[in-house]
Amino acid sequence: MSLGPRRDRGISPLFLALLLVVTGAGFMGLKLRLEAISRAQVPGSSIIYIPSGKYLKRVSFGFQSAMADAIYLWAIQYYSDTSIPNRYQNLDHIFGIISELDPSYEDPYLTGALIAVYEARDPDLAFKILDRGMRRNPGKWLFPFEAGHYALLFKKDYALAQKYFERAMNLPGAPPVARRLYANSAFRSQDLDTAWKTWLDVYQTASDERIKKIASNHLYQVKATVDVGRIKDAVGKFKDKFRRLPMNLGQLVKAGFLTGVPKDLDGQDYLYDPGNGDVTPATIPWKR
Amino acid sequence: MRIRVIAFNTFKEAIRDRILYLLLFFAATSIILSRVLALLTVGDRVKIIKDVGLASISLFGALMAILVGTGLVYKEIDKKTFFTLMAKPLYRHEFILGKFFGLVLTLFIMLGAMSLIFLLLIFLHTFRVEPRILLAIAFIFVELVLVTAVAILFSSFSTPILSALFALSFYLIGHFSWSFETLLKKMHSGLGRAAGQVFYTLLPDLENFNFKTEVVYGLPIPPAMIGYALLYGALYTLFILTLAVMVFRKRDFL
Repeated sequence: MSLGPRRDRGISPLFLALLLVVTGAGFMGLKLRLEAISRAQVPGSSIIYIPSGKYLKRVSFGFQSAMADAIYLWAIQYYSDTSIPNRYQNLDHIFGIISELDPSYEDPYLTGALIAVYEARDPDLAFKILDRGMRRNPGKWLFPFEAGHYALLFKKDYALAQKYFERAMNLPGAPPVARRLYANSAFRSQDLDTAWKTWLDVYQTASDERIKKIASNHLYQVKATVDVGRIKDAVGKFKDKFRRLPMNLGQLVKAGFLTGVPKDLDGQDYLYDPGNGDVTPATIPWKR
Repeated sequence: MRIRVIAFNTFKEAIRDRILYLLLFFAATSIILSRVLALLTVGDRVKIIKDVGLASISLFGALMAILVGTGLVYKEIDKKTFFTLMAKPLYRHEFILGKFFGLVLTLFIMLGAMSLIFLLLIFLHTFRVEPRILLAIAFIFVELVLVTAVAILFSSFSTPILSALFALSFYLIGHFSWSFETLLKKMHSGLGRAAGQVFYTLLPDLENFNFKTEVVYGLPIPPAMIGYALLYGALYTLFILTLAVMVFRKRDFL
């Protein structure tokens, strides 16, 4: 009975192997069993301890970028888990940490805003995240470009969309469509003068016939809107003075409410209905 | 009887290790500093003290188990004292188990000292004893017993530095194995996922011994969880110790 290799017969190898298999199988089975037991959780407990990115930066030992990657990967998994209630509550905090750690990392801004808009249904939060991206990356056109889309589609705030697209189109590398979206937003927000000038610029500088055609259609639309507005205004004044609607647009000129009957961009007359005083363009702009 | 002698001698040897007191000093400082940290918070200060205190006990306890445990067997071989033992009527498994129990006893004393400071600090703030905190500490001890077995296993065939690295990796894997499960959920079912599932169940899950959140927030702990977690810890420890005995029996020292 000694520690020498040959005389060590304390426990048989077969017993040891058996013990290894039994204990191994035992703890593996128990692990599965333990996982089946649901433990009480503090709502959002996995994230409430994440301090601000400023402090994390100090303890990252120069691995800020890797830490940002890790938190970003974790955040994607976290927001994919639909069973977590109130998970959007900390969306800004989490994506704020990532941007603090790695301000140039573009994806988290875009993903954070995407989650805010499509999942959390909170466009204002998306603007907050994208605005942060713009502040930290003032030369990147993608953040104002995305924000412009969200303002256009989800908020229907055309003036806000115009502001974002204006910023995007003036940044290096911005696609030409940014200028067209800016012009369209200006039109929708009733900034007709800006819309006209921008579409005219697009028309004059376009090298592509398709773009030229698009710009021309929009110019038609802007001009028609201005003209129809002026005519309707004159019709209103005519009615106030004569207590009836004019029989045709020429009467508006004769009465001095218009200097001349406006024509559309293609030189055609606007359609006037003497029955109700409605004025419409002769053509639908995109069917020209 | 022979295991007891080895265990007692191991305890006497480990308790004289200066690194143990250094770690105890840092643990005590960290626990006491939790009071300072609590001053910086707005709201429940005791929560901060509990969080930081339990984390310090767990972390420094694991460091004690790893740093002391990984050198235990190696030192005996390196200093040739092991050859003296070879001449004695002693089995190798008795040697390994003796070392293990000796270190477990040492850690029990150290854990007791850290817990005493921690409980005293809590008592000074709340003027009451919370028995549930003892449950969290008891499971920290279960975790330390497992980490000790792992340290002994690596110490039985590797150098202290490598053993410490391996044991530390085991500790980290044990606390982050849930992330592997997350990965498995994203995988398509098939052979790869099945193999991953087997590998995952083999990996230690030290979160089964983590009741800190439940204790701090006063959340209910399923009674079955306590029993199964205890059994899980015992079986995993036995598995590692069996592995350590098998490895150590195969070693040739001559």
